[in-house]
Amino acid sequence: MDDFPAGSLDHNVPFLVVSGLSNSSTKVSLPDPSLREQGVLVRSELPPIESREAKIILRCIQEKDATSLPWNSRDTSRKYKFKIGTVGREFLLPPRRARLPDNSEAPLSPLILHSPFSPLSPGSSLYPDGLIDTQWLRKHQDLVPSVCLTFYSLTSDPTLATLHDNQLKTDINAIKNVIVQSGYKCRFVAVILSDQSPSSIGQFQERLDNIRRSTGLDPKTSLFVLPTQRTEVELENAVDNVLTAVFEQALEYYRDLGRHSRKKRGRGIAPQPTVPPTSGTSHTLSLHGWNVRYDFKTAIFAEFRQEIDVALRSYEQAYDTLLGADVLETIPGWNSRFNDARFLADVIAIRILKCLLWLGLSTTAVRRWQAHNDRIFDLVDRRGRGTQNYGWKAWEARWNTVMANLIERVQFPELEPTSTLPYRLPEKNLSADRLQPWELLHHQGYWYRIAAWHLANRRKLAWSIPEEDRKPPDASSPSQSSKAYSYDTYMCPEPHEEFPLVGTGVNHSQLIFNHLMLAHNEFQKRHQIRTSAELALECCKELERLKEWRKILKILTPLWRDMSYRTEGWWDIMEAFSWTLRGAAVEVGHKNLIVAIDWELLNKGFSRRPGWHYDIMKSLDGISTDSRPVIEIGDEHVTSFLHASFIFKNDEGKAGQSCPTQLSITSNSFPDAAPVVLERIRIEFEGSLHTIDLGHKASDDQNFSSSRLRVSKVALAEIEGNGDDSSDDDSESSADTTPTMMLQGTDDLTILPGQTRVFEMDVPLREPGDARASSVQVSVAPESFTLRYTIRLREANQVGLWYSPTSMRKKVTRTDPHIIKVLPRPPKMEIRLIDMLEQYYASEYVPLELEILNEEDANANTKLDIALYGQDVPGYRVQIEDGTEKTSTAGVEESRLDGIPVGTIPNSKSAKAIVTIDPVDGPMVLDLIVRARYHLVSDPATPIIQQTTYHLNIVNPFEASYDLSPRLHSEWPNYFNPEDIQDPSEGDEVVRRPRGLAQKWSLATRYASFAQEDLAILGLDVDILSTQGNVSCKTSKSQPIVADGAVISPKTIEESHFELIAQKFDLDDRSPATADLAFTIKWRRLTASKDTVNTTVLPLPRFFVTVSEPRVLASVSYYSPPDPSNSVSSSAPNPPSQLLFLDVTIENPSSHFLTFGLMMEPSNEFAFSGAKTTTLNVLPVARRSVTYRLLPLVRGAWIRPTLVVRDKYFQKVLKIIPTEGMKSDREGVLVWVPPEEEVDGDDESEGDESESESEETEEGS
Amino acid sequence: MAATIPSIACLGVIGRNNNPLHITIFPSYDPASNTRAPLRTPLQFSLLLSSTLDIFETRARRAAPSATGGAPAAAASSTPLLTGDFGLLHAVDERLAAYGFETNTGVKFVAVVDMRGRFSPAAAGSGGGGGGGAAGIRGGVGLRETELRVVFRAMQNAYVRLLQNPFYDPDEHAPLVLPPGGGVGGKKITSRKFSEEMRRIGEGWAPGVTNL
Repeated sequence: MDDFPAGSLDHNVPFLVVSGLSNSSTKVSLPDPSLREQGVLVRSELPPIESREAKIILRCIQEKDATSLPWNSRDTSRKYKFKIGTVGREFLLPPRRARLPDNSEAPLSPLILHSPFSPLSPGSSLYPDGLIDTQWLRKHQDLVPSVCLTFYSLTSDPTLATLHDNQLKTDINAIKNVIVQSGYKCRFVAVILSDQSPSSIGQFQERLDNIRRSTGLDPKTSLFVLPTQRTEVELENAVDNVLTAVFEQALEYYRDLGRHSRKKRGRGIAPQPTVPPTSGTSHTLSLHGWNVRYDFKTAIFAEFRQEIDVALRSYEQAYDTLLGADVLETIPGWNSRFNDARFLADVIAIRILKCLLWLGLSTTAVRRWQAHNDRIFDLVDRRGRGTQNYGWKAWEARWNTVMANLIERVQFPELEPTSTLPYRLPEKNLSADRLQPWELLHHQGYWYRIAAWHLANRRKLAWSIPEEDRKPPDASSPSQSSKAYSYDTYMCPEPHEEFPLVGTGVNHSQLIFNHLMLAHNEFQKRHQIRTSAELALECCKELERLKEWRKILKILTPLWRDMSYRTEGWWDIMEAFSWTLRGAAVEVGHKNLIVAIDWELLNKGFSRRPGWHYDIMKSLDGISTDSRPVIEIGDEHVTSFLHASFIFKNDEGKAGQSCPTQLSITSNSFPDAAPVVLERIRIEFEGSLHTIDLGHKASDDQNFSSSRLRVSKVALAEIEGNGDDSSDDDSESSADTTPTMMLQGTDDLTILPGQTRVFEMDVPLREPGDARASSVQVSVAPESFTLRYTIRLREANQVGLWYSPTSMRKKVTRTDPHIIKVLPRPPKMEIRLIDMLEQYYASEYVPLELEILNEEDANANTKLDIALYGQDVPGYRVQIEDGTEKTSTAGVEESRLDGIPVGTIPNSKSAKAIVTIDPVDGPMVLDLIVRARYHLVSDPATPIIQQTTYHLNIVNPFEASYDLSPRLHSEWPNYFNPEDIQDPSEGDEVVRRPRGLAQKWSLATRYASFAQEDLAILGLDVDILSTQGNVSCKTSKSQPIVADGAVISPKTIEESHFELIAQKFDLDDRSPATADLAFTIKWRRLTASKDTVNTTVLPLPRFFVTVSEPRVLASVSYYSPPDPSNSVSSSAPNPPSQLLFLDVTIENPSSHFLTFGLMMEPSNEFAFSGAKTTTLNVLPVARRSVTYRLLPLVRGAWIRPTLVVRDKYFQKVLKIIPTEGMKSDREGVLVWVPPEEEVDGDDESEGDESESESEETEEGS
Repeated sequence: MAATIPSIACLGVIGRNNNPLHITIFPSYDPASNTRAPLRTPLQFSLLLSSTLDIFETRARRAAPSATGGAPAAAASSTPLLTGDFGLLHAVDERLAAYGFETNTGVKFVAVVDMRGRFSPAAAGSGGGGGGGAAGIRGGVGLRETELRVVFRAMQNAYVRLLQNPFYDPDEHAPLVLPPGGGVGGKKITSRKFSEEMRRIGEGWAPGVTNL
């Protein structure tokens, strides 16, 4: 719409002139200087108001300016719409009557003068037969106000009041007079500002009434008093109210004008011009023309009044008349009035569209738009200069742009960028019709795009202008006339300016580009990215013509880089982008882009560009080679004609072995493209594999080179990675202990179009774990550049193909073949325990001898890890053959030694290590884990691990049972021993001799061997671990039971006796005492060396070693004749001489005087002498013995002396406790009578005798 | 003057990954030379088809979060959720308009209609009621969105028949896992039968045809 003259298409709102509020004025000068000098100056003599409030009011009013509001009726909050013109104190009205032309002769009769904008006035540009033009519109919109709003201030100074008021009255009256005399019907409204508040304004009421009366102004419509002493918001509201009232005045003004136009139309006659035309055709405007003019005016005034539907009707009426048979059809095509009328038709049509859109009738508007297009097409075709020229295309482009601009101004919410549809749904009453899809109003981007297409057509037609028409017009050119008729120059330049032979002319490309960019932005806003990309491509096509190469790069490079067409497979679109961008890149010299695009375009999926070399090596030919770029691209940006896959033949492999792999690269380039010679191929791995680097080495072998499939074996050599380009991305891996290794190989890396190259390689597997081939990077390095293209190897659910060189057949291997699982190298090291014993026992050192046998092919550098698991793990010691020794302390659950260096074990030799586990106390289950970590000298990079677990069950070798029986102790404390008298003060002596009661016990232990073999017993002992109750204990081995080196067989029981004497420290202490004893067996294995002594300690249950109760001990002794020797007595049996002495000893450790009754019953087994019944008094802490002599009547049998000892006082029978050589059962004690021949036991009886003797003595004492 | 009726200018099948599966271009009637020729180049039709993807995407995006949204376009955007019929996607200019349909597996059918694609002597008499009786460069016959349903139904039938072919692997034509970046959408449909079917549909359709 910018092509149309200013004001011709603006939406009309009432024009309001605000004067008296500021010095500055928005200058609207009259367009024509002659009109300016005839203009009527409306001027006020009073100075403008400069107060702060005046500025606020001015700002409020100016903010209400409605000229830039969107063209729709949605904003209903505004009660008024004004175009605000601010002036100081004066403004110019255009003359109401035109002047007569100067050269005209004196009139015969008084001439009727008309408005200078009318076709009737000779000075007007419309004279004599024009219709109407923009000047008339501008007169009403910019020059003649509907209301003149004048501000005055009311002084509050009483001394000046009269003077000022009179000045005010004079001024108002003067202005009113000027306006009336000008002939315009502008309304005059005065606003009097007062510095009072609304409440205190009342004091001036009289003065205000006076002013009103003498000026004839109406306080409701034309005189307002505005007290300014209030808040800004209130002031704004007051101004608002004034403007609302003024708006009514303005509407009234335009209603009057409209009525006037209708009245003139109703007259039905064409007015005569002031002076009849004398020049030209002397044709004047017809009645129909006048009707168009009147209808147009009526419509404009309705628009001023914001009565859109009224305006629409009048416009349609004017339009129909204008394009009807009587107006435009009558104007000849060569006449300039034809184009004027066309212009008017366009303006009316645009205003109609505006009204329709304003009313929300979008589909009707599109139809109207098309209708106008068709009518003008028809008109120009028939009456104008035809539609097959650039002028018509220019108009069509403009007509589309106009629609786009209108949509922009109307701002439909349905066409905002946030909406779902790119078009607006039709009105309700039309939605049932069969609609053309285009009749749904699309957003402005579509319209701009079509405008751009029309502009392209315009260029095409402009370029087809024959040369003679493109010459600048010559005064005497004969072709002048024909040219004038064959080109439509309506609102566009003449052919010689459109496309001159010399010079630039119209910059079509720029025009197209601008429109495309407008459309592009609209589509971009609405996230129609593909459409905007398409437009960007079209833009760049235009930029190509403009040679704006850098701009192309700027627009197209980001699009090219990540266009969705690539991922989605729109090959033809990709191709269009690529070629366009390449063209620009060549011009700019952007080598990276050129190479990348060339690389991509080699794919035969694109269409073949005839004559193109399709050789990546020649990519930069013809481009300055000042520098050699290195281009790195990946398949995430750019597709490629090369497809790579990498296959491990096996899905598992073992470290130290190698796995056959195949890298296959297939070329999809054009069949006639040049072969690609790769400089190198790099295969990167994730995981433990090293990068493979294949270099190019040309070969002359022609056999394979042409076949479709070429499989070649490549030998790989392991080398230290050099830091050329792997250093940056491998930096973290190089920090590892192992240096960066690379696998290098060379082969002919030429790939022919359509060929599949397969490189078979044996990749050594080093470290266990998963490894995957992650990417294949191919590089092409001609002299001018280096291109590195990375192909990522992804998890595709595709089966791998294994190519076989001979049969050409492909074998399907498995899915995801680029992944391999590297298992640890199978160790060939053997760990053995030599001479492991069947059973290990507690309390012995457990020596375990390990043999580590290297069965690898090479020497192995070995380290040993030992770990012991169990409950309360003992410490152990590891000794390696060569002398290295390490000790581990005991642990709770585990105890381990790591990294014991064993050193290099030569091939098929072994190393030995001895693990000695410390003795444990009891049975225990242990797990011994031996792990040999080693690597071969030939292959230091592959760690190998061999591990063995041994299960050790350590048991106790012995179990024992115990029996403690009382014995008579020879000693009994003597009260009268002076040595025993002790000073009580010395009672805390540390070491003191025990002086209390002593009791003797016999401890019988029976121990069994639980071992699985014979063991040598080295010694037995009873240890006193602790005593309780102030007692001292002594043990002694009663007899040496086992000799040194006695052997105990498995599962046999041995018995041994020990004597235990317990003595209380104090005589007075009569509490019972206990002792904790331990039975110790010293032993060794028969196989062990002589100096090995293992000690098994078996703790005994706690024993009472003294009692405080009285007890009765029976002991027996055998009589033997004093003189004969033992042998004699045995050889000559002497029956009566077999006499037994039964001593009954009553111990009274208590402090009571006790009386016992003894009763011996006769028996038929023996005869006895002694008291049959007697009473025995035992003093406190004393003992007494009674001796019976028994003569057994039987031999070789147990006899039962039935003796009852009764406590007289408690009437309690005491149990008689047997001692040595006796036994007891439930009924009493039993005494053994040896058989006749048996005379053993003399020695014993002697001992007994002496004891009893001593007792007697004690007793006696 | 020559009366024209709408005809199909291009039929496109677009895969789940927005990849073109099949494009058939039909010639349009050219009143100037009284011949039939495609209105645009294949590249332009490709661009046109791909531009409809913008609208498919916008509608899907808008329809997803607020299916019950009270927007004025809700009526138009909620129907495709049920039937797959997107109706008019957009009109490119006064002649070409694209209509769309999406199956529940994400395969999109696009029919580009040339509103003046076919000469119709039968309509010559009754046409011309559209834009105020001006010369017949504007076809008077409009189009209802529902009139394209028969095209989409026929296309879907053809596509289903294609899928029933055991040698047609849909995953090959629209891989489930698109390679990140680089990769190219998928293979095009190469079935000759399918192409013939498309051609038959495109040539057989005219406004008012109820069975294809």
